[in-house]
Amino acid sequence: MIALQLAINGILLGGVLALSALGFNIIFGVMRVVNLAHGDFVVLAAVLCAYAFTQFGINPLLLLPLTIVVGFIAGALVHRFLLRRLPREIASAEASSLTLTFGLSYFLAGGGLALFGGRFVSVPFLTGAYQLGPISVPQARLLAFAAALVLSVAFAVFLRSTLLGRAIRATSQHLEGALACGIDVDRVRTLAFAAGTAIACAAGTLVSFLFNVNAQQGVLYTVNAFAVVVIGGLGNYTGAVLGALVLGLTESFSSYLLGSTLAEAAPYFLFILVLLLAPAGLLGKRAA
Amino acid sequence: MKTLLRVAAVVAVVALVLAPLRLNGYLLNLLYTTVLYVALAYGWNIISGYAGYFSFGQIAFFGVGAYATGLLVADLNWFWMLAALAGGAIACALAIPLGYVMLRLRGPFFAMGMFGMAQMVRVVVTAIPATGSGSGLFLPPGSSLTGVYYWTLAICLGAIGLTIWIDRSAFGLRLQALREDEQVAGTLGVDVTRAKITAFALSALIPGLLGGGYALFLTYIEPDAAFSSRLDLQSIVMAILGGVGTVWGPLVGGVVMTQISEALWAKFPQIYLMLFGGLLVGLLLALPRGIVPALAGRRRPR
Repeated sequence: MIALQLAINGILLGGVLALSALGFNIIFGVMRVVNLAHGDFVVLAAVLCAYAFTQFGINPLLLLPLTIVVGFIAGALVHRFLLRRLPREIASAEASSLTLTFGLSYFLAGGGLALFGGRFVSVPFLTGAYQLGPISVPQARLLAFAAALVLSVAFAVFLRSTLLGRAIRATSQHLEGALACGIDVDRVRTLAFAAGTAIACAAGTLVSFLFNVNAQQGVLYTVNAFAVVVIGGLGNYTGAVLGALVLGLTESFSSYLLGSTLAEAAPYFLFILVLLLAPAGLLGKRAA
Repeated sequence: MKTLLRVAAVVAVVALVLAPLRLNGYLLNLLYTTVLYVALAYGWNIISGYAGYFSFGQIAFFGVGAYATGLLVADLNWFWMLAALAGGAIACALAIPLGYVMLRLRGPFFAMGMFGMAQMVRVVVTAIPATGSGSGLFLPPGSSLTGVYYWTLAICLGAIGLTIWIDRSAFGLRLQALREDEQVAGTLGVDVTRAKITAFALSALIPGLLGGGYALFLTYIEPDAAFSSRLDLQSIVMAILGGVGTVWGPLVGGVVMTQISEALWAKFPQIYLMLFGGLLVGLLLALPRGIVPALAGRRRPR
């Protein structure tokens, strides 16, 4: 029974992890940039939502469209005015994009800390649980899972069936090929970064009523997104869903079985193991 | 020009050696911090600058050095410099098997993998009962800041010397070859694995040695201090802003950024993180190749 309960908790957690990782994945897939500020967008959105709830009593679900739009604009601006200006031809291009997003991460975490302070906040919203016999399903987690599912499916449909979505997938699969097809790669990159940031902010909105957050916790969410994406295979959008479930279940079981200190190391252990044994991800083909 | 630079270097070293005689607590503290960051940046620069393996986890070796020193001093009453030396040796020895595994990863996978590895080493070290777990480890008082400063200065000068040697040696050329293209370097007869692991072990030795001094400096070690991601990330930033894979980049970046960082911290503690982040982004966009290559005004030699 405990195992079933832990499994349900893990799967529900996996939904939000999958959404957050989707944003991280799309940015890496299209731009080959590991966005170290990803988690900071997640927690900043969460802290903002908690603030709006405690100060003005606004339901975070109502804020969801707003955080998505703000995230989209912020992402577009970051790409246009910062990332795009980095020279691409130098040997340390990878290092400079890591450094830039790292600086951005400090900036966002510091800004959040200055504006909202370092207290842990959360939204006491839907605190009840559904009882199914001996199993309890927390309402907030169920709702977050459902919302994450809807958003992920909507984004998947966008990627599969719209022209813009296809341009994004083409660019992430083969840059030269996309260029040869006349795709405006530069515009696709801006769009991908904006969409990735918007998704991060949407995930943050859902996180606000699941966990206590403060502005300095971004690293945790960046690492989780990275772990999910590595487990599923970088740039592999279906793999990430599996990755999120694996990570959600691991976190749920390890915090019960090992205690919170050792469980902190679980995502790291998992992603290093996957990187070494199956570098292309669990669903990836051998030798990419 | 060359003799002028040499004279300036000698004067600078003499000034650094004599500094504790004239400086008061705060300034000596600042000097120690600067030298520590410069030395950390040099350590990182070997594996990440010369060999091109961008690591986010060298702090693991710093923490191992700090805890090893702490245990040897507190439990076995070793003389601290000997203990710190042993800490460095342990960190270096640990780097060889770790490097053998981790250096199979590349690019962002290695970077994030090392970040994860540092967290795991931290969890393992603090799970050992002798280290006092999360609550920390007290060191007997008695060491002075001056002693720690000289220790750190010696390691820093050693790291600079090591980098100068690497930059001129065949070993350095092998590292740069594998940074540009590992497969081609292998085809040309470079023992890639051996070169990478040697660079990784040297990059672990320096923070390993520094960690012991830091433990003495704090007189109390706990996981967040010994495996401080702030120390790790800021020293990386300094090496990058100075110039990745250059001899003088870590020195210039370390000295400049430590002063800026300390000044910002003293004046604007509330918005320090934000300012530091903004400054980092701005500097990176202004000088994407780093300060030293920009001053040299041409592409990297060789």
